[in-house]
Amino acid sequence: MAIEMLALVLGLTMLVALALGLWVSLALSAVAILGIVIATSVPVGTVMATTIWGKLNSWELTALPMFIWMGEILFRSRLSQDMFAGLAPWMRGLPGRLLHVNILGCTIFAAVSGSSAATTATIGRMSLPELSGRGYDPRIAIGTLAGSGTLGLLIPPSIILIVYGAATEQSIARLFIAGVLPGIMLAMLFMGFTAAWAVMNRDKMPAAEPVIPFAERIAATRRLLPVILLIVAVIGSIYAGLASPTEAAAVGVFCALVLSWLSGTLTKETFTDALLGATRTSCMIAFILAGAAFLTVAMGYTRIPRELASWISVMELSPYMLLAALTLFFIVLGCFLDGISIVVLTTSIILPMVQAAGIDPIWFGIFLVLVVEMSQITPPVGFNLFVIQGMTGRNIFQVALYALPFFGLLVVGTVLLVAFPEIALWLPETMLSNN
Amino acid sequence: MRATLNQLYRLSSAAAALCLCVIAGLVLVQVFGRIVDGVLRAFQMPILGITVPSLNEIAGFLFVAATFLALASTLRMADHIRVSMLIKAVPEAMRRWLEVLVLLAGGTLAAYASYHAVFLVIDSIEFNSVSFGVIPIPLAIPQTALAIGLIVFAISLFDELVLVLRGHVPTYQVHEAAKSDSLNTPVLDDDFSKRETV
Repeated sequence: MAIEMLALVLGLTMLVALALGLWVSLALSAVAILGIVIATSVPVGTVMATTIWGKLNSWELTALPMFIWMGEILFRSRLSQDMFAGLAPWMRGLPGRLLHVNILGCTIFAAVSGSSAATTATIGRMSLPELSGRGYDPRIAIGTLAGSGTLGLLIPPSIILIVYGAATEQSIARLFIAGVLPGIMLAMLFMGFTAAWAVMNRDKMPAAEPVIPFAERIAATRRLLPVILLIVAVIGSIYAGLASPTEAAAVGVFCALVLSWLSGTLTKETFTDALLGATRTSCMIAFILAGAAFLTVAMGYTRIPRELASWISVMELSPYMLLAALTLFFIVLGCFLDGISIVVLTTSIILPMVQAAGIDPIWFGIFLVLVVEMSQITPPVGFNLFVIQGMTGRNIFQVALYALPFFGLLVVGTVLLVAFPEIALWLPETMLSNN
Repeated sequence: MRATLNQLYRLSSAAAALCLCVIAGLVLVQVFGRIVDGVLRAFQMPILGITVPSLNEIAGFLFVAATFLALASTLRMADHIRVSMLIKAVPEAMRRWLEVLVLLAGGTLAAYASYHAVFLVIDSIEFNSVSFGVIPIPLAIPQTALAIGLIVFAISLFDELVLVLRGHVPTYQVHEAAKSDSLNTPVLDDDFSKRETV
């Protein structure tokens, strides 16, 4: 079969299998089997079993369930309340006032959790009722939450960066550290926009509340300190080369349990729920990774990625053109697929082409996550939209409309990252240990 | 029969959760051992040298076991992701047939994978394959967990298929619905929806 024909058949099979509602990991495996059977005469089943075993049996990947578990424990603790009470007093003086609690709260929770849905739910659970009660415009309150909830994907620990690192054999520690500055940059873009919006729409902001004395602010923030220390310890020890991501994550689980015990939220029930929740989420992601690993091997047999890479290099696109085309492609894909599926499909098929264009794979990981963040707030499939729909009862298209400015800011962030690759690459260069 | 199957899924997922606890425990022992030694060394005292031999390999093996043993319960709790746009949009009767189709395809794939996973174990036993670390662990042990997990997963898919064919709603569909229900209970009072119209 000609390679173009094969690519078409496999692409269509993937599309049909996904659209019919076959589970993503199984759809990836089905296409992989088909590809190998058509293109070669190697024993498919043996390749499948050895690939899945070889790929998942990895020390680096054990960071995945540990970080998920840590987030699950903190999600069930008092963190949501503490976050609002601790941040709100500081934000009253800024233009945009308590709206910034959404953004900063999400940024902080993103640093203990790798999931954007959990980040959105944890912060929104407390901040949306509070903001509504105080008379903030719901459109901007929901928009800021939807936008900043996506930071959960980028700011380490990031589940999606672990998936990318495992699928492309890049150092997860370096990917984590590379995500720090772009995450802070996005948070600042979001805060700047919110402040500017508040200045221009004074009529939509509620009346100012009295400023709280400094000593009282400190007292209110006291309960947030342990979490901040936890973040510094986890990210700091990875940066300093003191701990591998897995070790930092296990210590994170331990500290999260202690914090949850101290705040009185650690019961037999919350412990079991968090553990089983982490087991299932980790299983779901690892199984997709297994399917993707098998698909990557199958794609290697079909030679499609290599052909694609040489086809692109013949076209002599500049890297900028290539990235612009990929961004558009991912945004469309992101309307229908979740972030992890986008990342694994990309790494099986598109990565050779990207590397052929001379793009740094660590940088590309960060770029990919930024684009995937956009997919979290694009209808009809956007996980942050689902979470917020659940919390507010407003349908996802409405929520997506409120989040539109933040979609725009993510595009701005992506352009900045392309123009100044150092935003992602500078910090990993300075890491004490380069493993 | 029903009770036996449910017990099988529960046991399998409990074993998976236990694997995660063991990973966390072993890694913590290693980390705290290192911290204690660091402190002792700083005070120029003899170190204890507590380490977990072959930790990297053991943790990887436990991760494989945790992943595969949890497959069935992850399916039943609707945590495996899929694109459900079409399946939710079509009329009920057609939805049933779509579920039959994906369950049949999924079950076949899982059975095929189980069959080859069993061969992986047999090969490892035959060639006496062990891990490279300080403690040589027979690869057949973690691979057996992989195979068992896949077999239980295949059983659960066919279990759901039989349910649907008998006219019941698949277990994961109940949980899918329960999830969107709990999400659809607004935590906000009507304040928010009223405000916008003002």
